[in-house]
Amino acid sequence: MDSFLWTLRATEQPVASLKRWGAVGLTACLVLALAYLPPRGAESSGKSPFVGQSLWGTPARQYAQALADEWRKVDATVRLLEDRQRVRRDSLRASPTIVFRGATLPPNSVHNVETVIDSVWRDLGLGETKVRVTLVIELQRPYGSADTPTPLQDRVAYLAPDSTHRTTCLAYLPAGPYWTLVILGKREARHEGFGRFVQWLEAGLGPCAFYAAYGTPGRSVESWLAARHWDVGLYLGSHGIAGERFSSLDLMGNPSSPWYWDGVYSFPPATVACLAGRPSGCRAAVLAGAGEERTIPSPNVVVVERRWWRVQHLLPGERYLGDVARTVGRERFLDFWTSAQPVDTALAAVLKRPVGEWTADWERGFVRPIRLGPMPPLGAAVIALAIALLVLAVVAATASRRQVR
Amino acid sequence: MRAILVVLSIVAMPSAMPGQQRWARQVQERAQRAIDAVATSSPRAVVKRSGMLNTDEAASFQTTLVQGTPYAILGVCDDDCSRLQLTLLSPSGSDIAKERNSESFPTLRFTAATTAVYGIRVVMEACRWNPCWYAIAVVPLRKTPS
Repeated sequence: MDSFLWTLRATEQPVASLKRWGAVGLTACLVLALAYLPPRGAESSGKSPFVGQSLWGTPARQYAQALADEWRKVDATVRLLEDRQRVRRDSLRASPTIVFRGATLPPNSVHNVETVIDSVWRDLGLGETKVRVTLVIELQRPYGSADTPTPLQDRVAYLAPDSTHRTTCLAYLPAGPYWTLVILGKREARHEGFGRFVQWLEAGLGPCAFYAAYGTPGRSVESWLAARHWDVGLYLGSHGIAGERFSSLDLMGNPSSPWYWDGVYSFPPATVACLAGRPSGCRAAVLAGAGEERTIPSPNVVVVERRWWRVQHLLPGERYLGDVARTVGRERFLDFWTSAQPVDTALAAVLKRPVGEWTADWERGFVRPIRLGPMPPLGAAVIALAIALLVLAVVAATASRRQVR
Repeated sequence: MRAILVVLSIVAMPSAMPGQQRWARQVQERAQRAIDAVATSSPRAVVKRSGMLNTDEAASFQTTLVQGTPYAILGVCDDDCSRLQLTLLSPSGSDIAKERNSESFPTLRFTAATTAVYGIRVVMEACRWNPCWYAIAVVPLRKTPS
């Protein structure tokens, strides 16, 4: 029998060399390590190794970048202070004085920009104001030498009025390559959506528009706004910040995309709770920074973050105070703006409602409340249920056929 | 109230300020009307100071008052200001008189016992639209016959 079975045995195949497979495996590991491990000297972001993380530069590079960033901020502050000293006002003009830097403009280009800013000023309902605004437009210039970092060219900065210049607010607005060409008349601005020049200028006024419209805020409001880098007072207009209805919520992307939820959960818990329509979360998001009694620095420079919408406590926070002002009216908003009471008391008094409730309603005007917690996709849930039912049916059928003998 | 003392070197009232002319003009006119309303002994001896302050901020300046001369110290402010406080300080810096009841038009009357440099402090107690413009006038009055 044994000899019969032995003859039926398949012919033995030659086995591939194990060494070769080992070498292939090690090479693959090396390639994966080169692709995924951070370069030598880089620090881990501290996140789990199972979560994708972006590469960080070497400590020396990070230090150099931080130093350059600090230099840019100080340089921007010095330039703003110099501009404030130098600027000559046209006493006949109520709208902002415009200063161009980086290039000499032909008179008709200057006139065109002044015409647009005049219409922006009227659109905001402003005329002669106690705090005057100067708009410094930095036209794109070629990158400088390697001796000094490139000046701040991609971040908006504001110099608020202080005890030495109580009636001047300076806005520093880098034009970038696109708007530089538009201002120089070398390119036509798009007339719709993101490309509207008038909206770019209106958004560029930032906190200076609030200073112009309502004057210098009282100490509690000013301290609150300084603590949160003016994220709720970046835009006074009633349109979207970069288009008719465009807000920071649109920068989050489409809710059906996976990065939308990554973005949502990168915000503080109160901000996420407010997006879910919870008044307690909205209240906490609005009053973030209100409890701190901070000294207002002099000079008081507000530098807007490069990706400002990522550090907001409220979405779309940039228009929050503008919407409050439009809702309650100028007189009541001034009561809040100059109030000596704590921010939550003063705001609730002018809204005539609890801050959280009003803000939750306001939030619902922009976004349908998101659902918090884990939620599997519908298709996956149906398939999982179908599999579960199939398994149950198979088990039930098997159990029914089993017989004990 | 938490007053923030801002020691300003207050310049004499300019004839025309670039920008914000409306409010500067408003307080100039009010100050002039107030001066006209009191019987001054010498219009040229009137000392005028003006400036602007946010709510709860204060400014001080000094002026020489002559012994035996009665003075009216008048304060006016713009339409957005609802309370202005005026304080007369002795040469040593202590309070001599304080007026905070007349809302936006405080007035002090004082006859100096000795010729000396006195201080005048103005506090913007309530301003609805910051900053608020104010003007102070130190007016020598005619001596009443005794």
